[in-house]
Amino acid sequence: MHFYESSIITTVDGLHCQVYGNEHPLEGILIKPKYIPTEKLQSDILPCRFLSGRKMNRLNLWADRSELKRYIEEFKVQYPEYVYKSTMHDNERLFFFVPINRIERIYFPKKGLSELMSMPVKSLDSHLKTVYDFVTFLLESGLKIENLGVTYSTLMGHYLSSISDINIVVYGKENFWKLMSYLEKAKHPLLRWKTEDEWMAFYHRRNRYSIFSREQFLRYMKRKKSEGYFSDTLFVIFAVENEEEAWFKWDEEKYHSLGLVAVEGKVADNFSSVVRPGYYEINDSKIINGYKDVPVKKIVFYSRDYCMMAYPGEKIEACGLLELVKTKDGKQYYRIVIGYFDAYISDRRDKEYIKVINDGK
Amino acid sequence: MAHFYESTLIDTVDGFQCKSYANEHPDNYVIVKPKYVPKDAIEGEGLKFRFLFEKCHARFNLFAKKEKLQGYVGQFRKKFPDYIYDCPITKNWFFVVPKNKIKTIHDGRKGLQELLKVPEKDLDEYLLLACQLVDFLAKSGVSAKDLGITHSTLLGNYTPGKSDIDIIIYGKENGWKILNYLKTAKHDKLHWKTDEEWAEYYQEHKTSESAHFTEEEYVKHMVRKRYEGMFDGTVFTLFTVEEPHETWFKWGEETYEPIGIATVTGTVADNYNSHVRPGFYEIDESNLIEGNHKMPVTDNEIHVKRIVTYAIPFVQQAVIGEKIKACGLLELVTPKKGKQYYRVVVGYFDAYLNDRREKEFIKSLG
Repeated sequence: MHFYESSIITTVDGLHCQVYGNEHPLEGILIKPKYIPTEKLQSDILPCRFLSGRKMNRLNLWADRSELKRYIEEFKVQYPEYVYKSTMHDNERLFFFVPINRIERIYFPKKGLSELMSMPVKSLDSHLKTVYDFVTFLLESGLKIENLGVTYSTLMGHYLSSISDINIVVYGKENFWKLMSYLEKAKHPLLRWKTEDEWMAFYHRRNRYSIFSREQFLRYMKRKKSEGYFSDTLFVIFAVENEEEAWFKWDEEKYHSLGLVAVEGKVADNFSSVVRPGYYEINDSKIINGYKDVPVKKIVFYSRDYCMMAYPGEKIEACGLLELVKTKDGKQYYRIVIGYFDAYISDRRDKEYIKVINDGK
Repeated sequence: MAHFYESTLIDTVDGFQCKSYANEHPDNYVIVKPKYVPKDAIEGEGLKFRFLFEKCHARFNLFAKKEKLQGYVGQFRKKFPDYIYDCPITKNWFFVVPKNKIKTIHDGRKGLQELLKVPEKDLDEYLLLACQLVDFLAKSGVSAKDLGITHSTLLGNYTPGKSDIDIIIYGKENGWKILNYLKTAKHDKLHWKTDEEWAEYYQEHKTSESAHFTEEEYVKHMVRKRYEGMFDGTVFTLFTVEEPHETWFKWGEETYEPIGIATVTGTVADNYNSHVRPGFYEIDESNLIEGNHKMPVTDNEIHVKRIVTYAIPFVQQAVIGEKIKACGLLELVTPKKGKQYYRVVVGYFDAYLNDRREKEFIKSLG
């Protein structure tokens, strides 16, 4: 079932959830719980926010691993209906999920942005005016307002003008690439790209020392045009798949995990590397560690950090869970997956990565 | 009859955000003031809009120009008749939310208890200030458990540096305890408007209510009130609400016959209920006097006993022993038990739409 990634769902139990993927099982929507009420479980190491009249923990997958593990185990006990047992995956895979009957409200980014852009400009506060101006600028790319959305705190109304980011959703992978191409060259007096220091702050937050050298990291991050500043407000642009674009359909494949491996290969296609889950199609793969050398076709990731990391022709290396994929029509292939939720509470969190090892320059 | 705390936010299934506007309500309804309505619900010039919770909302403003407000209310009545209660006991009407239209009730007391659990390091400057204000108010002896938050403080759509901090005090006794405490309490961050600041406010914010006061009178009334102050530069407002056992009337135990607009004077015998909505001043030695209206026809044997207000600017307006003057809707009150009496009501919803709007006031004559 298709349901747009990055929409926000509040549940009858008070959770604020971010839709996590564009393909979902029929019984409900795959999500990441973003804010979780602290009545039933709480953690001192997770940040707190006062939202919807409640003290909430913000689920930070980069928090101390053992405490995160304890928290998620407790979450499974307190909110068993929010954990999805996928019949397509091995038992160990962790998916969070909102069953249809637990949905309180869905916040639709497209609808929200269209409402915002229809507001009289004089009614907008400084944050919303920045969003308005930024979207007006993005529309110069040729995209239409119905191709865009706004999400997270701007959509829900609990933003703080001086702190909150602008999170823009682009509907359609084709549209997203078009926008990225526009932003390669576009100029605006209020637009600037992240400085090296700003990218390095991110590098430190995500503990990427063991994976990338500073130079490598900066080289591949600086070419992304999905993050920057507009009027000194951080913006992040996400792509979501239209239904006809989904690169897989839920329940049409089965995945059997074969352990953690490192693989290298040459990117054949990165068209779907802009969405979550996204993937790089690779040729000439070689497993360099962890399993026998089987041909790997896809490097799949759930972490947005790896979006648009590599381009066709570039050689990449990745470490993640090797899966044997069996399709409904009897075919099979191998793929590597980075960033399943269960990876964050195991030692895979610090081992998984995707990096470009040769961009030909 | 039913109790439901005043100043509590309610979301409705039709996408309205409303604020309860009394503590006693007719069966199956909550009397409210619509605060935000989806922009397609009402149309017209002069409306202010806000982007809230994924939607463009029009702010329902009772102080909009009268002709425009008449248009908005007319549209509202036509499109959403369920939200208007034609009241058989007052022969007036109220905005209401029928109980079957309630989607979410935002519990201000529970919200504050949750806020107080959030570690200081995770609070932004605005919420930190709200917590510090609550700490300070609790020094009055009123437990933080008898306080709540409402409006944007509760819903999280505040703007630090701009939004007020809105505090609910649960219980009239608690309300007076805090208001009395604030007469003398000191805090580095606490500031009450000075005479000069109130005078400036009077000049800049002329309303139909303040028009009945000279600058000097206005300052004198406002400077002694303690329901609105500044805390570290942020405006805070205190709303006292009645506990179920404290309500000063029960819905349906009296009926009210509107007589017409009247001006009354009297001496305040009791102001204990003057800090809630609706609130009232019990008066002695009342006299109906001439005003900018026709003199109502009344029974000389029956006296005006109460001046009732729904309008916040007229709460805590006079204290015991003071002479008081008020203009509003005169009603003949017939209790189920006891004698008939008159009361003057200021700030019914209909008053914002008719000529009472410019005429109604409550004033202490000292």
